[in-house]
Amino acid sequence: MGRGGSFLDEVRTVAGGFRWGRRPLVPAAAEGQAEPRRPGQFPTAWARTPLARAAREAILTLGMRPLVWTETAPRVYGLENLEGLEHPVLFVSNHTSHLDATLILTTLPRRWRERTATGAAADYFFDTWWKSIATALVYNAFPIDRSGRGRGTASARQMLADGWSLIVFPEGTRSPDGWMQRFRTGAARLAIEQRVPVVPIAIRGAFAAMPRGRAWPRPGRLPISLRYGPPLFPREGEDHRELTRRMYRAVAELFDEDRSTWWEAQHRASRGETPSPAGPAGPRWLRVWEAYRPLPRRGPRPAWRR
Amino acid sequence: MTRPGFVLEVDERTPPLLVHEGEGFRLQRFPLGTRVVYPPDPLPGIRDLRGAIEQALLHPLGSEPLPELLRPGMRLTIAFDDISLPLPPMRTPDIRQRVIEAVLGVAARRGVEDVKLIVANSLHRRMTPREIERTVGERVFRSFFPRDLTNHDAEDPEALVEVGRTEKGEVVEINRRAAESDLLVYVNINLVAMDGGHKSVPVGLASYRSLRHHHNVETMLHSKSYMDPRPEASAIHASCMRMGKVLRDAGIRIFTIETTLNNETFPREFGFLNKREWEWSLADQAMYLAAKKANDAAPARLRREVFRRIEAPYGVTGINAGDTDLVHARTLENLHRQQLVEVQGQSDVLVVGLPYICPYNVNSIMNPILVHCLGLGYFFNLYRGKPLVRPGGVMILFHPVPWEFHQVHHPSYVDFFEEVLAETTDPATIESKYEERYATDPWYVHLYRRSYAYHGVHPFYMWYWGAHALDHLGDVIFVGGDPKACARMGYRAATTFRDALEMASDRVGRDPSITYFHCPPLALAEVR
Repeated sequence: MGRGGSFLDEVRTVAGGFRWGRRPLVPAAAEGQAEPRRPGQFPTAWARTPLARAAREAILTLGMRPLVWTETAPRVYGLENLEGLEHPVLFVSNHTSHLDATLILTTLPRRWRERTATGAAADYFFDTWWKSIATALVYNAFPIDRSGRGRGTASARQMLADGWSLIVFPEGTRSPDGWMQRFRTGAARLAIEQRVPVVPIAIRGAFAAMPRGRAWPRPGRLPISLRYGPPLFPREGEDHRELTRRMYRAVAELFDEDRSTWWEAQHRASRGETPSPAGPAGPRWLRVWEAYRPLPRRGPRPAWRR
Repeated sequence: MTRPGFVLEVDERTPPLLVHEGEGFRLQRFPLGTRVVYPPDPLPGIRDLRGAIEQALLHPLGSEPLPELLRPGMRLTIAFDDISLPLPPMRTPDIRQRVIEAVLGVAARRGVEDVKLIVANSLHRRMTPREIERTVGERVFRSFFPRDLTNHDAEDPEALVEVGRTEKGEVVEINRRAAESDLLVYVNINLVAMDGGHKSVPVGLASYRSLRHHHNVETMLHSKSYMDPRPEASAIHASCMRMGKVLRDAGIRIFTIETTLNNETFPREFGFLNKREWEWSLADQAMYLAAKKANDAAPARLRREVFRRIEAPYGVTGINAGDTDLVHARTLENLHRQQLVEVQGQSDVLVVGLPYICPYNVNSIMNPILVHCLGLGYFFNLYRGKPLVRPGGVMILFHPVPWEFHQVHHPSYVDFFEEVLAETTDPATIESKYEERYATDPWYVHLYRRSYAYHGVHPFYMWYWGAHALDHLGDVIFVGGDPKACARMGYRAATTFRDALEMASDRVGRDPSITYFHCPPLALAEVR
């Protein structure tokens, strides 16, 4: 646009060119050259005020839950494992879909939900102002710096110290192929430092329902299974690596239980034969193919196919 | 650590890129695959400038320390670069002021009384007292101006002396006071690799008789790269070196002090001009929109005034003193550290956005001939090795090319544009037919000496600077240029970049390779 052109056109050029409201992109050729972005620590304390908590409860129970339950068919097991526990705890889950945090928050009993926060990647959920506000409000989220500079851990530590339970995905990011990845040790460190129990959760079927790259669930009300396991308490002298291994095994056993039965899974676990949740060996396409297979439906099929 | 310069390839993720266009700027989308040459990030400036200057003066390269060269009763002359450097002008205190104050401090302690300061303005316009004061600082100005702090006068026969001739018969005529001093200290700002070295004294303090030996079409055409000052690469530098040798052989003692600056070209308010676009924050984008809107809406005079007032917050990256050759080698290292970007191969089309300023329109107007000089003389030549664009390729420049002249500063430009270019644009014809007449015209000489006019021959030199590019390029297109002014210079004007590419297609086809030279801040392309 030349001199004297419409200012509105210029605003459009800037808004479109710089992706206002969306995540700014770095040209591929400049990726190695880009100055490390230092996402500012978006303030989230307001999201834990009584007003925001009331708004969140309304959004989750009146908005998100009906929406997710309409578009998918979640099944929830093991909530009884929370009995006898008190805040704060760490909920650790495998992570394959954007549905995961919503599913956990909407399936937790209210007593748990209202004092549970979510660690969310600063570079993804807090990169634009509107995403930051929405994420903080709906998920009671706080930014986690994935670059390893440690500011996220500091926030999480403070939240636990303040009595908030946290949802953490120890894989650090959504699985690219639907299978479970290595757990990072940050969650275990937190649990040991703060002496809080860890509640493992296995989510199956979320990848098939809404994998990476989709912003809305696939049609067909695909089933998703959420299985809460018994809490793990950090043992005396246990280091973060050992606790991370226990967390991983616990989630793997929940997967096995979901695929078969609790009894069979227990036997395999006692023999050390729990199938790995890391998925089959083979090329990426094969792993994605397997993970993309929807869970079998239980109960009568709907009369009308969608 | 400072990030090096690099070459971006435009992809779908690339935002529109900033392009300068005279006293304005725009965001422009480039075709996918366009290469964009970005300069390195600014190097850190020297924090202890006073210490660095003292270190340079006390431990010079290939010379005795400055205090040992100074003694009572001697004649000391300090010459310094004029207003054409740096661009934009440096935020005060200018580095020349700091260096000159340090030199004068040593001279005072050593009991030197006969000191003169000369602006090495060559055939440029004289600097006004206010401009001189801004450059050397109030302390020096008040102590020496006007008697002992003057502009060089290249048309005063009394103030010039022929020192000798080179082995190729080139006349070496420079300022008499400088030549007859016991010590000549030259203080420069080396903004680009073309400046400095032996181009300082034999050019800055010379006369037309001397300059005509290298500021001519043949020399320009035989220079492979003006930014590579080796004799085998640049005929103009080879000539200057021969002249430097004549000065040395004649016993003229020159103590060269060269300084280099980093790439902090624009002040914080215009910080987005210094940044790579995908790193613009929301504040940068808002600043761009506000500046763009204000700039477009402002009357031309106000717009010019705002741009004139821009002062660069440069950091100083090097101060070296001593023997001219040794110092200049160190200076070039510093410059390359700040400006060099490696580029693989030439392209069919070279795109540049010309900024509002060039060496010859500081506090003045960028007339069409200066646009030609800036685009084809300087930006085209910001390379080492070979040009960014292939022989027969097309250069697309963004600039409004207004048909406008500063009547005080550029009187001979007006006539050159109206009379000479109306007849021919061929540099060789222009040189043979008109140069002598303009160079010796008494009215232009009078205006150069008594007013603030560039010398009568100066527009010719501006035209010659573009001779190499004119010889190399197949076509030159100005986006947004005044069609009449462009046509007068033999160029074509396009309304939009898309039109320009369409117009270029008859030379380079429908799918040309394109390089956008993202400048300023200054970069020097090392084309392999």
